[in-house]
Amino acid sequence: MLVDAIRHRLGWWMDNPLLRKELRQRMRSGRTVLALSLYLFIIGAVAFVFMYVNVQGQTLLLQPTRTADLFTFLSYLQLAMISFVTPGIASGVISGERERQTLTVLLTTPLSPASIIFTKFVTSISFLLLLIVMTLPLYSIVFLFGGVVPSQVLAVFGLQIVTLGAIASVSIFWSTWLRRTGWSTVFSYATVGVFFLGLAVAGYLSDNIANHSPDQGVWGMVSGICYSLNPIYMQASLEASLGFASPVFHQSIVSSVFSVVQSHDLSSTESWLSFLYLYMGGSALLLVSCIWRLRPGTFAVLRKRLVRWLLR
Amino acid sequence: MITTENLCKRYGKTDAVRDLNLDVRAGTVFGFVGENGAGKTTTLSILATLMLPTSGRAFVGAAEVTTDPAAVRRMIGYMPDVFGVYDDLSVREYLAFYGTAYGVTAALIEQRTKELLNMVSLEEKADDYVNALSRGMQQRLGLARCLMHDPPVLILDEPASGLDPRSRIEMREIIKGLRQRGKTVLISSHILPELADMCDEIGIIKRGALVACASVEVVTARANGHRQICVEVLEGGLAMADTLARHHFVSDVLTCDETRVDLLFAGTERDQAELILDLTAAGYQLKTFREVGGNLEDLFLHLTSEEQAAEQTASALAGSAAGQMA
Repeated sequence: MLVDAIRHRLGWWMDNPLLRKELRQRMRSGRTVLALSLYLFIIGAVAFVFMYVNVQGQTLLLQPTRTADLFTFLSYLQLAMISFVTPGIASGVISGERERQTLTVLLTTPLSPASIIFTKFVTSISFLLLLIVMTLPLYSIVFLFGGVVPSQVLAVFGLQIVTLGAIASVSIFWSTWLRRTGWSTVFSYATVGVFFLGLAVAGYLSDNIANHSPDQGVWGMVSGICYSLNPIYMQASLEASLGFASPVFHQSIVSSVFSVVQSHDLSSTESWLSFLYLYMGGSALLLVSCIWRLRPGTFAVLRKRLVRWLLR
Repeated sequence: MITTENLCKRYGKTDAVRDLNLDVRAGTVFGFVGENGAGKTTTLSILATLMLPTSGRAFVGAAEVTTDPAAVRRMIGYMPDVFGVYDDLSVREYLAFYGTAYGVTAALIEQRTKELLNMVSLEEKADDYVNALSRGMQQRLGLARCLMHDPPVLILDEPASGLDPRSRIEMREIIKGLRQRGKTVLISSHILPELADMCDEIGIIKRGALVACASVEVVTARANGHRQICVEVLEGGLAMADTLARHHFVSDVLTCDETRVDLLFAGTERDQAELILDLTAAGYQLKTFREVGGNLEDLFLHLTSEEQAAEQTASALAGSAAGQMA
């Protein structure tokens, strides 16, 4: 029974007309091919330059610890790409439909608001997922020289995919609640800015206050919360817990991130699991609010049905 | 097929729709007429499940729009007054997308695409991108899209708005064809004469309330009772205006000068012939005696201009409709 239900749902997703249309529209344009090629080229070039500089042209000198550094570097580059590109793609998915005046017709089809929102969510992250998957062969260079094992890569990718989902949810939230794509884009980038930079600055300031305040414990806790909500620090936390805690980026931002993670004891499994649960829960809440917003009667109808079912 | 019971929609302090009671019979084309902002689009949006009513109920078939919107959506094909298209899709892909959204099988989609494109004269554009079509073609494609799942009810919100005269005529012919296919069509417009040609019944809405609802024949007959006549004479126009004002079939003298009198005539064509004889017998040298303006347009303006007049006319139309039905 359950298997049949799952198969039915999967079949529906595979045959979801909106999903097929969105993927077709998104993937067949020349811009997509160009963007994919460009990204792969840039990441490839960065990986090559990084390795070349580290071994000064002699690949035999490459040490496994250095490939771990390369992995850390590439993973941060990828996180930066996710934070920049996702709002650009997802912040117009609903407001764009509204501006093109196609949303009204879409809402009169049997496609439910939930299926519309989830399809938009899936198609928004699909391009980024493709970018991430495409870079896997580059990461295989890292495996080739040792220092990192596939399970570690998958763990970091998992955290990045959750972050990607959260950014997409925030962007879809603004796109659904605001009428104009322009405003939605501004608010999406602003939200990402708050989570990536604002929380880092707030954590840093709280740390400084804690060092000069009698309420050291309180301010220390505030800075810990700020860091533990920040994807940059939580990726460092995960990487530290996986054994990449001593990167060679001396005096760099990445090394300072790692030192903050160590000083606040954030590299525990509980820390990044809490982060994952919080981000996934937040994303789910935002998407549910989008469903409600898309067709305001959705919940009223569900309530009426429930009452009718109870009275029966 | 489409019924509303005391339907109300309120935006803040504004009543967009007030106690609207509609009854559109299956297989008929119902024209929903009103000025801009009268409440047509709000009513149609409620029927298309895009909006919840503040109070009252609306049904499409046996399905109520608020409690069973999914069933309503399957039964209707909705075409909004302004709608966009997906630029990066071909005409064929566009129709296939909506067909699949309604759960139509691939084989049926192919068959219907062919039929519908033929019906709206777009068969040669099947593989063109939708954004390459003209406005008129996009409107026709929109109508074809509404029919992809073969719904029994079509809700068309000003389908001919913004079209050139040729496209309007083409659209009108297509809608007439829908009646022959047995579809129930609820079509809105702010131009009454445009609807008179293709509708079985007409409802006139003003400030959210239905001020008149009757068959086209009744409305036309009523409109004929308010024909505007222009009488031109060589001289003595002012005196003739006095004479005309006393005539029992002249409901009002609109303007007059020494050579021309404009009046509203409430009689039949025979009464009109007799009036010409009377004026000639009274010594007026008539130069012209002609009807001016669109009758239905005049009626529409009359109905939507003064509330009291509208109420009187509404009761008169209701009486006529009841008489006709009896």
